[in-house]
Amino acid sequence: MNVRLLILVPLLSGLSLADDPDGAPGKLTSETRYSLALTEEGSFAAGLRVPGAEAGNMLLLEPTLAYKYGDRWRFSTSLAGLVATKGETHEQVRIRETYVGFTAGDLDLTVGKRLLRWGAGYAFTVTGVLDPPRAATDPTDRLNLNEGREIAEADWVAGKHDFTVVWASAGLLDTHRPGARETTAFRYGVMVNGFDTAVIVAHERGGTTFAGANFTRVFGRAVEVHGELAWRERAAVLLGGKYTLRSGITAIAEFYTPPDTAYYRPTGMPASVGRQHYGFLRVGKARLRELPGWKEWDVTASLVSNFDDGSRIGVFDAGRRFGNRFHAYLHAQTPGGKRSRSQFGAIPYSALVSIGVTFQM
Amino acid sequence: MSSKLVWMLAGCLWSATAASLSDAGAQALLKQSDLRRNGWPSYVGRVKITNYESGKAGEEHLYQVSQKGADKTHVEFLSPREKGTFLLMLGDDMWVFLPDTRRPVRITPLERLTGDASNGDVARTNYAYDYDAAYQRREKCGDTECHVLELTARRKSSTYHKISYWLRVADARPMKAEFYLTSGKHVKSATFDEYRPVAGITRLVRMTLYDQIRKQSHSVLEFSGFQPRELPDKLFHQGRLDRF
Repeated sequence: MNVRLLILVPLLSGLSLADDPDGAPGKLTSETRYSLALTEEGSFAAGLRVPGAEAGNMLLLEPTLAYKYGDRWRFSTSLAGLVATKGETHEQVRIRETYVGFTAGDLDLTVGKRLLRWGAGYAFTVTGVLDPPRAATDPTDRLNLNEGREIAEADWVAGKHDFTVVWASAGLLDTHRPGARETTAFRYGVMVNGFDTAVIVAHERGGTTFAGANFTRVFGRAVEVHGELAWRERAAVLLGGKYTLRSGITAIAEFYTPPDTAYYRPTGMPASVGRQHYGFLRVGKARLRELPGWKEWDVTASLVSNFDDGSRIGVFDAGRRFGNRFHAYLHAQTPGGKRSRSQFGAIPYSALVSIGVTFQM
Repeated sequence: MSSKLVWMLAGCLWSATAASLSDAGAQALLKQSDLRRNGWPSYVGRVKITNYESGKAGEEHLYQVSQKGADKTHVEFLSPREKGTFLLMLGDDMWVFLPDTRRPVRITPLERLTGDASNGDVARTNYAYDYDAAYQRREKCGDTECHVLELTARRKSSTYHKISYWLRVADARPMKAEFYLTSGKHVKSATFDEYRPVAGITRLVRMTLYDQIRKQSHSVLEFSGFQPRELPDKLFHQGRLDRF
């Protein structure tokens, strides 16, 4: 399939297919939401220690469409067309989400491919049984490339209580997920004294049973605390918090300790390393309004550290808005630690810098 | 009783008691003024914010606001760069749903204070719910006779710590405001520029927020398409935050 064609067709059709921002919001008939993002990103790896191209380029087109008919029917789709060049050129189309939803009173039914995130952590999660893989160096999935799972979901809200049952396939149409297992999961969520709490139980066919709970709580005007506890063969724990200064600077810190089991072990890490302990710190500010000329800038710096092998990776992000539709950004990460025997030290470059621009409509 | 008659009676009442008001009266006056901004117990509408820098129009933001009661607000972000973002306020609790994180993220009250017009300026407009009112004085604001109230935050989720609030004596419509942080810093001022009849009531349709720290910045908020609408409680559930 010609991916360039796939990129051009929605781009051109998107020019004529816009939202209905002036439509009467009180209408009960139908509503449409449409968005399109086109990103061009160049990246360069310094100090590369493996054979390969130091420089790469990526063109990414991400159309989304959501349609609601009355108060009962919903349809949503989100695609990503990707042309990546790093020595060779690869083209790929990802169906991030495509699902149909039906609402009957307080019951919502959803069938299709959908991104679910049940974890409460920022950089890590232990209760996100159906979540896409989370990378602490890119917890927000900055290029929006994560894909959902094929699911059938029933969600019932009763006051402050929320009950969700999900069946997720191992891959009926989406067969690009090696290791994915058919999963049945139940989640109960409730707000109790300001604690947004969830209890989750899941079972994988031919695998283990999972049980876990998570919470978030805001204290005062500046502090948020969150935590996750899960049991899957052994216990996994995440504790974190967020602090916002009056200046708008926000700091997020997390401590995460996964057991040495196949489910939690990072790719490439040997089985004999034992329980791991991680720390995460992120400091950032959206809109540097206090500095003349910097109002359109956002800046964040993060550090992820493996306390057991002493390795770490620093991540820096800066972005600037241009008008209402353009956004330019810089993403840089630099790992450190023993090259042969540590998680982040084994990353085969000394620095990776990506610079890109995104057009959105 | 028609809403027009209610407004006329309210106007007469406040004119008659204008000379001095107890704090209880000030609170009732504040509640009355909230009707000029919100209008109905349950409604939807759109807010367009245009930021100006040194008089030059810059970024534009468009929001769809759904509000039920004084403490439930759902905001959908509609401008190109923010599409897919939703904000939910339930009393003191707030969540934001970002298209990249794809989950409701709990936010602190201080995180709402971003931009010339903060999230609170869009989503938190029931001042009688968030603030205690004390009557200060009666004075001219421009050509108009106004009551001056001092509002003090009664909830941790209130957007500002204190507000000086000028309300027109004739009908309690907001005329101007000054916003202060806990530190006492005067951060913003507002003028309530235009009111129009909307679905049977006279409602605010345009206001301007002036940045008192960066004096060359101001934001114009335009309210359109506001109308009463029955909204289901489940719209205001953090687990369903991404449903437009």
